[in-house]
Amino acid sequence: MAPILTVRDLTKRYGGLTAVSEVSFDVEANEILSIIGPNGAGKSTIFKLISSFVKPTRGEVRFDGEVISGLSPHTVARKGVVRTFQETTIFKGMTARDSVIVAHHLRSRASLAGFYFGTATARRDEQEFGDSADEILEFLGLGPVRYELASNLPQGHLRALGIAVGLAANPKILLLDEPFAGMNADETARAVEMVRAVRERGLTLLLVEHDMAAVMKISDRIVVINFGVKIAEGTPAAIRADEKVIEAYLGVEDETIGL
Amino acid sequence: MKPAKNGLRVAAVAVFLLVVFVVVPAAIAASGRTDLYYTLSSVALLSIASGGVWLTFYIGRINIGQGAYSLVGGYVSAILVTTYGVSFWVSLPIAGLFCATASVLVGLPILRLRGVYFAMVTLILTEVARLAALALPITGGAKGITNIPPPGAIRIFGLTVVPAFDTFAERNAAFYFLSVTMMVLAFAALWRLVNSRLGRLFAALRQNEDLASSMGLNVPMLRVLAYAISSFLGGVGGAIFVAIAQSIYPSSFTVNDSVNFMLNCFLGGLSYVFGPMLGTLVLYFGWDLLFQAGEYQLLIYSGVMILLMLLLPNGLLSLRPPAIRPSLRMPAKRTS
Amino acid sequence: MEQVIANGLYLGAQYALIALGLTLIFALMNVLNFAHGQMYVLGGFITYEVYGLMKLPFVVALLASALTLAALGALAERFLFRTVIRRSQREESTMLLAAGVAYFLDAAILLLFGEKQRGVPKIVKGVLSIDNLIIPWDRVLVAGLAVAFIVAFILMMQFTKPGRAMRALAQDRVAAQLMGVPVAFYGLVGFALGAMLAGLVGGLLVTITGVNSGIGGPISIKAFMMVMIGGAGVVGGAIAGGFILGMLESVGLTVLHAYGDITYLVIFVGLMVFLAIRPNGLMGKPWG
Repeated sequence: MAPILTVRDLTKRYGGLTAVSEVSFDVEANEILSIIGPNGAGKSTIFKLISSFVKPTRGEVRFDGEVISGLSPHTVARKGVVRTFQETTIFKGMTARDSVIVAHHLRSRASLAGFYFGTATARRDEQEFGDSADEILEFLGLGPVRYELASNLPQGHLRALGIAVGLAANPKILLLDEPFAGMNADETARAVEMVRAVRERGLTLLLVEHDMAAVMKISDRIVVINFGVKIAEGTPAAIRADEKVIEAYLGVEDETIGL
Repeated sequence: MKPAKNGLRVAAVAVFLLVVFVVVPAAIAASGRTDLYYTLSSVALLSIASGGVWLTFYIGRINIGQGAYSLVGGYVSAILVTTYGVSFWVSLPIAGLFCATASVLVGLPILRLRGVYFAMVTLILTEVARLAALALPITGGAKGITNIPPPGAIRIFGLTVVPAFDTFAERNAAFYFLSVTMMVLAFAALWRLVNSRLGRLFAALRQNEDLASSMGLNVPMLRVLAYAISSFLGGVGGAIFVAIAQSIYPSSFTVNDSVNFMLNCFLGGLSYVFGPMLGTLVLYFGWDLLFQAGEYQLLIYSGVMILLMLLLPNGLLSLRPPAIRPSLRMPAKRTS
Repeated sequence: MEQVIANGLYLGAQYALIALGLTLIFALMNVLNFAHGQMYVLGGFITYEVYGLMKLPFVVALLASALTLAALGALAERFLFRTVIRRSQREESTMLLAAGVAYFLDAAILLLFGEKQRGVPKIVKGVLSIDNLIIPWDRVLVAGLAVAFIVAFILMMQFTKPGRAMRALAQDRVAAQLMGVPVAFYGLVGFALGAMLAGLVGGLLVTITGVNSGIGGPISIKAFMMVMIGGAGVVGGAIAGGFILGMLESVGLTVLHAYGDITYLVIFVGLMVFLAIRPNGLMGKPWG
């Protein structure tokens, strides 16, 4: 089966600085692929390149066979490639539920004029989105806090809200930006379960992450980036044993690479 | 919406309409202060333009260029009426649409800018409009366009729905009703906008453009849409203003006016749809009243303005009791 | 040709000094000083009073302008801007406050100094002529002083403790606070310094072009444009913007002289196109 997402020779240069260089890999449908690498390796740049928040200097990203690199971010989202953000990116003035409802935008059948006049179609959309939002929030454990303002939510809930908002946009592939950052062992275990459950819904997941233990536990495959270049790709077992990877992480405690 | 709140709102609107359409004209007739018709018409028209600026604030941009669209709208209407003999009533929507179209062309590149950069670009926009009015042959240059005839009658199927303005004994009264009707329509449309789902998209856009993009919101298009509506309102306000003044010059709307539209919004309260209306009323009347102060007029005016900004940095309407404050939230409970 | 360039450089030096003040205030306080032009005008009038009317030495007059504006800037920051920044929910409010202050200063200046155009006697007589280049000596002196002030400013920002503190504050307010920089104090100093620079240029230019109460607004707009070209919040940007605008004006007025007002129309439209391509100017820091 053809991969759902292909990245070919992806390169990004900022003036004299090369953040990402000739990175290529495939993502299979319904798999969980993680991109890891030391700090400053270029992981988040790759992330932004794939979701088209940054345009590549060279190379291309294809989704379902179609080139998406260079398209505007909202068009890419419309095609089914949805990214999440770090937990500080929220709608400050909206409740969790409202944020998730707005995130359903891509599913609307009413037109903008319909939105304005509140036509029957728009109202039906609204009703459905409300129900769907409740379901998603429940699924991610945010049911009890859904009427809270996003700005009042603690970090853990905000992380889940980010995923909720991503799910509402009806993605085929969801890009998770450091979903386990700053979590303790318990929280990480719960988050790992949550990510697994999202995959069960039929989505493909692409993670950028630092937390090695979580990555090893949850990923089907891993891509390792260092200094903007792909240095390894494979199953967690293969990566764990890969010398280049160990060398890249030299100086990092053994436990964190899951040895 | 809770029934009680709804009832209160309807009552407030009814009272407002009553005051504007019945009480004020009666008071003016009784006191003989027909000059107030002109003053209040100005307030109404300027508040329409300010309402447009408010909408650009709503999508998170500081718009100091509304004067440009008021000027352009005024000129479009003036040229259509004087050179091409078009009826004022037809020229009005054309002026608005012309401004909206122009703003799409201008907005597409500049709406990517934010904060001070966007503000500064819009500031020069007003100057560009003025300089263009001076330079272009069609606008008559520095001498402007004068002797613009007052609006004619609106006849539908032979019935005179609105009489020609020069048949009114008190022409300014006719303009008053026109201006105030437009103001009510404009703000009703704005109110509906921010309370609709489209308004929620704008609010999302203002709060975080990146997040909104990731949800599939066509951010560039939505921004331009808001800006076009804003400029439409500016153009319409300008066109009616020109009809009242019966003339237009390149200096009819300047950077000062653009700044004032912005100040009107700010003073009223940027979080409230009716902020610009209140702000325009207070600032315009304040300025007029201070005429008595002679050479100290500007000093006292700006001094009070600064004071108000210090005391009420979130605008006059931030004094409203919370119960009636318009909520930007969705209805909280779903029906089971 | 050389004349045009010389004029451009001379204008550029003045404009750069104005832009520096504006960009400094923006960098430190995220405030776009709408009243910058009025501060320039006030500086000009003070020099007119001290040097032109009271017949005191020019240096004293400049000092008077500088100190008065510094005090004004400090007061404005401490009592007006600081309050609004703290209490307002929207970041646009400082710009609007500055607009109010601009109106207030316009009114005060009109009341204090009247509406007539004022000038002062030349500080240096005579004309410098090299080949076919003719520059009055006073312009040379004023340009030289402007450049000297710019250099002094840059040196101060680079090598003195207050300068480093202000740079830290401009880069990252929170980090600066954590490092123990008294941010409130330096915000005040920065504002005062920015206002002072505006007043200085006013004092310098009153000797050449005079001053009247109505030019505050247009000067503000010019200052904004320079800062937009070069990029807000960056010293290099302000200087670049100043010189670029100076050159554009000089070239434009000569080349487009036949077409009258078109110069500024062309500059404005050009600027809008430029900003559409480079939103943060040549070197500016992005907003927000």
